[in-house]
Amino acid sequence: MAADDLKSSVKEYLEGLPEVILTRLYESPATCLAVFRLLPALAKMLVMSMLYRDESVHISEIEKFVKTKSRKLQVEALQKLKALHLITEVRRDRSIRLSSTFRNSFRSALTTGPANQSFGVPCETDDKHKVDIAFLDKHASDKWEGILHFMVGTESTGDFGNTAPPPGEGVLSLLHHSGLMENAMGSDMMVGRNESVEGMRISSGGFQFLLQSVNAQIWTLLLQYLNMASNLQMDPVDVLNFIFMLGSLELGKDYSLSALSDTQIKMLEDLRDFGLVYQRKSSSRRFYPTRLATTLTSSDASALRSASSSMDAAINEAGTPPVTTTSSSKSLITNNPGDSGFIILETNFRLYAYTDSPLQIAVLNLFVHLKTRFANMITGQITRDSVRRALINGITADQILTYLSVYAHPQMKKNDPVIPPTVMDQIKLWQLEMDRIRASDGFLYTDFSSFQEYDLVATYAAELGVLEWQDPKRWRFFVSREGNAQVVDFVNRRKAK
Amino acid sequence: MFGKSDFSYLKLKPDHASRPLWISPEDGKIILESFSPLAEQAQDFLVTIAEPISRPSHIHEYRITTYSLYAAVSVGLETNDIISVLNRLSKVPVPKSIITFIHSCTISYGKVKLVLKHNRYFVESSHADTLQMLLKDPEVGRLRIEASETVTKDGLVTERAPTAGSLVIPGTAASRKDNSAPDQAATATGANGASAQSGDGDTGDFFSHIVDIERDDDDDLDAVHSFEISPDSVEDVKKRCQIIDYPVLEEYDFRNDLRNPDLDIDLKPSTQIRPYQEKSLSKMFGNGRARSGIIVLPCGAGKTLVGITAACTIRKSVIVLCTSSVSVMQWRQQFLQWCTIQPENVAVFTSDNKEKFQGDAGLVVSTYSMVANTRNRSHDSQKMMDFLTSREWGFIILDEVHVVPAAMFRRVVTTIAAHAKLGLTATLVREDDKINDLNFLIGPKLYEANWMDLAQKGHIANVQCAEVWCPMTSEFYQEYLLANARKRMLLYIMNPTKFQACQFLIEYHERRGDKIIVFSDNVYALKAYALKLGKPFIFGGTPQQERMMILKNFQYNEDVNTIFLSKVGDTSIDLPEATCLIQISSHYGSRRQEAQRLGRILRAKRRNDEGFNAFFYSLVSKDTQEMYYSTKRQAFLVDQGYAFKVITHLHGMETLPNLAYSSLSERRELLQMVLLQNEDAAGIEAGDDADDFVGRGSNIVKAKAKRHVGSLASLAGGEDMAYIEYNKNKNKELKSHNPVIKKLYYRKK
Repeated sequence: MAADDLKSSVKEYLEGLPEVILTRLYESPATCLAVFRLLPALAKMLVMSMLYRDESVHISEIEKFVKTKSRKLQVEALQKLKALHLITEVRRDRSIRLSSTFRNSFRSALTTGPANQSFGVPCETDDKHKVDIAFLDKHASDKWEGILHFMVGTESTGDFGNTAPPPGEGVLSLLHHSGLMENAMGSDMMVGRNESVEGMRISSGGFQFLLQSVNAQIWTLLLQYLNMASNLQMDPVDVLNFIFMLGSLELGKDYSLSALSDTQIKMLEDLRDFGLVYQRKSSSRRFYPTRLATTLTSSDASALRSASSSMDAAINEAGTPPVTTTSSSKSLITNNPGDSGFIILETNFRLYAYTDSPLQIAVLNLFVHLKTRFANMITGQITRDSVRRALINGITADQILTYLSVYAHPQMKKNDPVIPPTVMDQIKLWQLEMDRIRASDGFLYTDFSSFQEYDLVATYAAELGVLEWQDPKRWRFFVSREGNAQVVDFVNRRKAK
Repeated sequence: MFGKSDFSYLKLKPDHASRPLWISPEDGKIILESFSPLAEQAQDFLVTIAEPISRPSHIHEYRITTYSLYAAVSVGLETNDIISVLNRLSKVPVPKSIITFIHSCTISYGKVKLVLKHNRYFVESSHADTLQMLLKDPEVGRLRIEASETVTKDGLVTERAPTAGSLVIPGTAASRKDNSAPDQAATATGANGASAQSGDGDTGDFFSHIVDIERDDDDDLDAVHSFEISPDSVEDVKKRCQIIDYPVLEEYDFRNDLRNPDLDIDLKPSTQIRPYQEKSLSKMFGNGRARSGIIVLPCGAGKTLVGITAACTIRKSVIVLCTSSVSVMQWRQQFLQWCTIQPENVAVFTSDNKEKFQGDAGLVVSTYSMVANTRNRSHDSQKMMDFLTSREWGFIILDEVHVVPAAMFRRVVTTIAAHAKLGLTATLVREDDKINDLNFLIGPKLYEANWMDLAQKGHIANVQCAEVWCPMTSEFYQEYLLANARKRMLLYIMNPTKFQACQFLIEYHERRGDKIIVFSDNVYALKAYALKLGKPFIFGGTPQQERMMILKNFQYNEDVNTIFLSKVGDTSIDLPEATCLIQISSHYGSRRQEAQRLGRILRAKRRNDEGFNAFFYSLVSKDTQEMYYSTKRQAFLVDQGYAFKVITHLHGMETLPNLAYSSLSERRELLQMVLLQNEDAAGIEAGDDADDFVGRGSNIVKAKAKRHVGSLASLAGGEDMAYIEYNKNKNKELKSHNPVIKKLYYRKK
């Protein structure tokens, strides 16, 4: 699900950039490669065919590539390319040519390879504190899950023996800035560096964020980071270049800080908090990208999956028992939608989830009434209250259902539809139920001494048009907030007489 | 988040993936993966030692309780077997707390048996020390009488333990094999006992192992020890044993009972019983004697036949108690249909019928209320009661055992001397806790079938369940909000939208060719609906003759496709023709009623047609208390794996021709009528049948004065159906019409 969403969201962001900035972006070969990876297949093909041709290409030539049936795809591809300012169209003779900056950078990306500085500069010297891939994976998932845990509010309680410290200030500010979390104290508090850990509360956007796949989550945060960067006087080109560079780095290698700009070094600090890179200490002149970073621009979900399976292999090689101890790194894997699901949902609304990941449990806890926990499974029940709680938090019924079906256990996937229809209907009905009540602020008038008195005041309120509801049998009525003052006046005047 | 229920400290076994279950240390809950290859054996085992809580498609839940362990012990499982098999199946080691629990429950249970042999009562046990302990107990010791047999020096009689060897349950595979032999009982081999226990053949290693253990034990326990007590003191001994935590199991050694004459009864050769029926009976006759207990089978799964087969196995005088006079007739008819008993040996004891059977042994069918009645009886029924109490019965079948309160049972069980007791029910749930009394009044639950399983195998019908949400019309809702609790009920039942939904569903299904039963607990609504729609109806006040007539018509008359039933129809009425069920009002949140009603269509004749579905609709007025009750009611069925689909809008309802109450004025009129009704009209019919003994318990006897719908008209007889002008009572019509049916009916009878 999310892979397409996120790709389009990155692209949308890029498409929104002015040509000047894009051209500057394209000066970096690594960025060009990353942008190329984001393109649809046909567009990729077109770019490749034009890459080593200096003259412009006539439209009719392109049309030859495409079957008439698929003309729509061609139009789309060309539009994408144009929006990204990768091609310029020469109206006169209906021909197109590749942007020269892009062509040069992309050529150098393809030919010079790792020697190119924009792909990061590997350290020449050996690291005295060399770390292996397993360590990096653990580091990445600790950091990332630390953030997610912080969001769901489990980190402080230590329910799951989770030892990750609360995320750094930069992360907090980003979470706040992006609207994923908000100040419980109210919105009038200063936005800035003074967020306290206690004062933050997850927002409805944050709940939706939790239900996304890891990759989508990282991109969501990075895009927010970009938005914030421009406010902080950071050059978006530098930021983007760095992000795209990370995507092309090699896992397990260390890279030197020497090729980075000041902005990028500052950024490194933040990315370290996200778990995208590992730096032993902030003064260290080298950094390691983690798996979260290197899979950033992978063109499809399968890359992520293979990445995680190789991670599995790495874990097994390291000799750790496969089942229990590596819970945190394992959960990152299963967070990918491509992996086999773990949730069984029965027609009696009982839910069984094969998981030991605190994070998944925390996410399920958002909309399931959890009951018992075993070493590799938890049980719970979807109830009206638990779903209402989620709905009040801004999660929609569709999100719950998507989550349930994406992570459904293989046994469930045999069913069609995956989720029992009754449960599906019921969750949707619960959502509809939420929309039925209209709340209006106001005041209730009771304890009249006589019916005449009641009738008089109620009639007056009705004449004013502020009467919301009345119950003549019990002598009480309800007046809207706006109209209250007038009614109070009226009563006081009556009393004065 | 999980608090005390976090059991992640239980370490998984290395090969946990191939084991199917988890055990929760806190409450003894067992969670079973039903897709595991071992699941089927595990289910067989679990159903013996634990109560099923929920059994939908993928994951089942069970709970180990005192009673379930009691039942397990009584069918012959030993403490160590239970623990070792659990351990073998479990992903996590069996928690200490559970082991302790199992020990504490099984150590004293099932060790002592009360056996009737040669018409003398013996307290029997395979553990001599237990008996010694009992004899030292001041009360039990006093009641012991010296036996005439050779007595060992410690005062006990020792003899060989019984085996299931020569016992054959009729109708099973083994009995068919033996049919050619002249004397079944004598020639059947010991193999039968094994085939009864490991009947399904494909049992896995571990499971056959447990069966082995059982049989090994039988060999080991060659000797049983016993002492005799006098028949008068049986009650005292039972009570005393209960107090000192050694509840006695009652077994009836019917093959050695020579004093009670044999009843000439056998299953007809054409009668065959289904595998699950056989399984349930093998639990009952596991060691060649008859154990008392309860068998739980879904409605329509052939409870009657289980009872009949058990009766044919014991072959002594039988008494059957059921809840209503309609089911009395059905039991009688079923007996005649399935087995060779002669009609003159069958007696019926109801308010209209008091005959005795001919000969020494026979069958009596009656109702609980007839037998438990403590009020003055007519001369005839007193004579009949004397007859019932004066003799010994080999076997008593208690039908729909869940409806009867403890007090009434105690009376029934004490007035009628029966050696073996078998309770039958579909739903061993009650909203109160009284269900547990049954464990000690009748015996442990011997078997409980899985609904979904039977439906899949085609033994009961597939049912589509739906809850139809009927919005309250604004006039009704306004009144609803203002009314008191009882009046509210009437308002949501009489909700015009509900009426329309009912009308629509009836028309829709009649067109499909379904036979429809509409249930309403509320008699006022029942009449109002039925009269408006011109359909026949049955409620508590309908005379027996008329009931039979309506039911026969429903079965055989093509023009009568819909009947309205009050809760007298909840249980026992056997209508295999019915394929669709609509429920318009119900008894609060009773899970049992919901299940019983569903049971009316589970036995649908056409169930084996391809793609056949029965339909169960529950009409609920939206935004009223009914919604809450409805969810509660469904809990049992939902736990059995049924899914209730919510229908918020019936497509095409508005365009139905002749839709009732479609105009505002009609609805107003209806509202006025409803508002004019006395509050009592909202009440639920006071049961003339045993169905709703729930909650009222022993008070039922005291309530001699019955409160009626209190309008003056009714006192003057004005509510007689004949007075209603525009809505003709279909019941009366049935009588005068259809001479064919009449003939059919009388001939049938």
